[in-house]
Amino acid sequence: MKRAKTIALVAGFGFFFLALLLQGILPYLMEENRVTTVAKTVRTPLGEMAEVTAAALPYTDLTARGRQVYIREGCWYCHSQYLRPTAGETRRWGPVSEFGEYAHDLPHLFGTRRIGPDLTRVGGKYGDDWHAAHFFDPRMVVPDSVMPRMDWLFAPDAVAGRRVLSDEGKAVTAYVQNLGMNKGKWRDNFPYQIAERGSSSLESAAAIRHGKAVYARRCAGCHGDKGDGKGAAPAAVLFGVALPRDFTAGAYKFRTTPTGSVPLDADLERTIAVGIRGTAMPPWFNLADEERRDVVHFIKTFSPDFIQYPPDAPIAIGRPPKPTPELISRGKQVFAEMQCEVCHGSEGRGDGPSSQEQVDDSGNKIPPANFTRGVFKSGPRPGDIFRTFMTGLSGTPMPSFGDSFESPDDGWALTYFVLSLSADGKP
Amino acid sequence: MAENGTGNIDLVDRGIVRSWLTWGFFWAVLAPIIGLILSLMFNYPTFLSTQYSHFGRLRPLHVNGVILGVFSALFFGLAYYMVPKLTGIRMHREGWSRYPLYLWNGTLLAAFTLLLMGYNKGLEVAEFPNPLPVLLALALFVIAYQVFMTIARRKEEKIFVSLWYIISALVWTGMNLLYGNLVIPYVAPGINNVALHGLYIHYVVGLWITPAGLAVIYFFLPAAARSPLYSHKLSLVGFWSLAFFYPFVGIHHYLYSPIPAWTQTVAIFASMMLIIPVLTVVVNFFGTLKGNWGSFQRDFTVKLMIFGAAMYFIGSVQGSFEALRSLQQPTHFTDFVIAHSHATVFGGYVIFVLAACYYVWPRVAGAPFHAPTAQWSTWMIMGGISAMILILVTQGLIQGTALMAGAEFVDTVASMKPYWFLRMLAGLTMDVGIALVGINLYLTARRAGEGRP
Repeated sequence: MKRAKTIALVAGFGFFFLALLLQGILPYLMEENRVTTVAKTVRTPLGEMAEVTAAALPYTDLTARGRQVYIREGCWYCHSQYLRPTAGETRRWGPVSEFGEYAHDLPHLFGTRRIGPDLTRVGGKYGDDWHAAHFFDPRMVVPDSVMPRMDWLFAPDAVAGRRVLSDEGKAVTAYVQNLGMNKGKWRDNFPYQIAERGSSSLESAAAIRHGKAVYARRCAGCHGDKGDGKGAAPAAVLFGVALPRDFTAGAYKFRTTPTGSVPLDADLERTIAVGIRGTAMPPWFNLADEERRDVVHFIKTFSPDFIQYPPDAPIAIGRPPKPTPELISRGKQVFAEMQCEVCHGSEGRGDGPSSQEQVDDSGNKIPPANFTRGVFKSGPRPGDIFRTFMTGLSGTPMPSFGDSFESPDDGWALTYFVLSLSADGKP
Repeated sequence: MAENGTGNIDLVDRGIVRSWLTWGFFWAVLAPIIGLILSLMFNYPTFLSTQYSHFGRLRPLHVNGVILGVFSALFFGLAYYMVPKLTGIRMHREGWSRYPLYLWNGTLLAAFTLLLMGYNKGLEVAEFPNPLPVLLALALFVIAYQVFMTIARRKEEKIFVSLWYIISALVWTGMNLLYGNLVIPYVAPGINNVALHGLYIHYVVGLWITPAGLAVIYFFLPAAARSPLYSHKLSLVGFWSLAFFYPFVGIHHYLYSPIPAWTQTVAIFASMMLIIPVLTVVVNFFGTLKGNWGSFQRDFTVKLMIFGAAMYFIGSVQGSFEALRSLQQPTHFTDFVIAHSHATVFGGYVIFVLAACYYVWPRVAGAPFHAPTAQWSTWMIMGGISAMILILVTQGLIQGTALMAGAEFVDTVASMKPYWFLRMLAGLTMDVGIALVGINLYLTARRAGEGRP
């Protein structure tokens, strides 16, 4: 009996608590393991990116509810939530996990298996429209996905013949979009996702064939087999932000070429690499270069314009100047001179007097950008914003201002002013 | 020595052993079928994709069903057989034995229903809502009390190593269930929660399945082979090194995370040190058959247990090395880890308890089992799990190295699909093998019933 007691006490209790003490309780009591702050990327009032130390934000009612749905549906069995400084994860998904950014996670949702991708930093990578389509049927947007359909996250009633997320669906989308956001605008500083210039490959029959295969696996779900923007996803789910591009029209927003011209191959490749923030178009920087370059050649086959009217010479972007308070105030003047507030509003909130009347070439309503959100479709770099002023966005009411500026400096001043409208940090 | 301990079979409460084993086989049919359904979903993602039966709802049923259902129920049945045999007296408070039986299995039924309905705590293992895990702990404590008091009044002078393992497993796991379900969900958010949870999930395998499963093989392998245990000294080295190192390994689930690096290193060190108990245990088992390998051919219990010991060795050594940072870089998060869990939990411990059932069931039911069916089931189980381990290890290495080389994530998922299909076939083979064990023993009981007046 004595021996049995010894076994139970020493082995049973002793080692159990020794380990718990050493690896669970002791670290918890150490000051360095009580961190609740995180290195956060912010935009300064001068429109530049900076890193500050900020407190991790607690969940809101909406995101907390979404987290409950995420736990209930067992999302965490297949999607991990921590990024290691190894195996290329910082390139694939974003910066390494920090201690403080999990401060409000109880229970934690680290996970131990990745049947699907890690979700630590998925917030902002895809638009809400993409998530809605993906919840409705993952294989519409990712044909190789093995994720279950979650059509119970949708309201029973369709809107305009298309399904919309229920309150629960919106909550879990908000939660997913919030993942990694304690690190702020890190994505605007993420070297793999931002690129001012694209690249291109030699056009050949083999490249087009390869591009067609890439298109079928990555693009057809939204843009459609015919490239007309009428894929399965926008047919099934209501896209609230923007509809997929109709490639047959040959009109592209994001170009280095002048208004009216088709884009360069490199322009299309850049858009594919960096995605269109806020919309259902994700960034594809994780693909091999050849896949992006070759799919460009296939996309061009949808419109005869590329052969009939070869692209004009690109507009020089040049190097952005260093922003100063004077440049910002000059930008504010230019903002008024160019009458930007008619559409974008005097504070750049996209609520100008004629903001409700804007339609694109296909007759769809197109709200002017709200600059204070800091989500820039053409890209977050000064050169991206400047490029939009110089070339305009074909197919939309946004004109080119290249000829209206007194000098390129006015363009840069306006660029930094627009960027400064989403400032959320000290200089 | 024909069998460990001097206890007579008449000391054993045959009824409670039969009941636990019957429940065990109920879970042994259910949990693997859920595993099969899950493996189908990898290739047919729309299969059973409803709100109450999609992958995220079914996965905890498979994991908890195997650990708390199949393994635990069969182990309890075997424990009620082993303890009287090893102590030479009847189980203390035999009349109480029914309560943990109903409590444990009833709780599991309720828990699985709740999991399907979406009541999930978000912490792996026993993730169903409180107070259900507490009820499981209560059942454990009742059994622990019975075992403890039986040992206290034993007639045998020596305490055989199986009893050491049974006591510690019951004590550890009762505490661990309370710790995991009354402490972790409520304290220490964030990274500290991760660390506490890492310890908890590995306590489940390390301090429940391992000691309980080893108790079974330490008792039944010598009994079935009719050879004495190779070395009692070695078994003590194994026990104490396991008891000392196992509690420290849990953090190895979260290497390269923001958990303090030194606690990760402690976990890696402890994981490697676990090779000591694994080696001693396996040497002891193989040594027991020294000069008696004929029993390996004759006896299904011995055959399955030696196969299980080999699987346990492979899976455990894989687990130790998997904890090394360099190997974890490619393999963590992949099916390589799933290979480890299937090799140890199924290949090792579930096979140990299934093998022991071949020994115990005819003795408590009173009739021999059908040998040709046993032959089929044995080969299907051994073939199925071997194929599954090979497939999963291959998958993990392919996906892990592809990701390290910078492949796009979904491309690596697509490349897994042929292997997932093969894994499904391997799982199907295993499942049929297990079901055959259950059917065989059911028919044995029926035959025995017919033979009785």
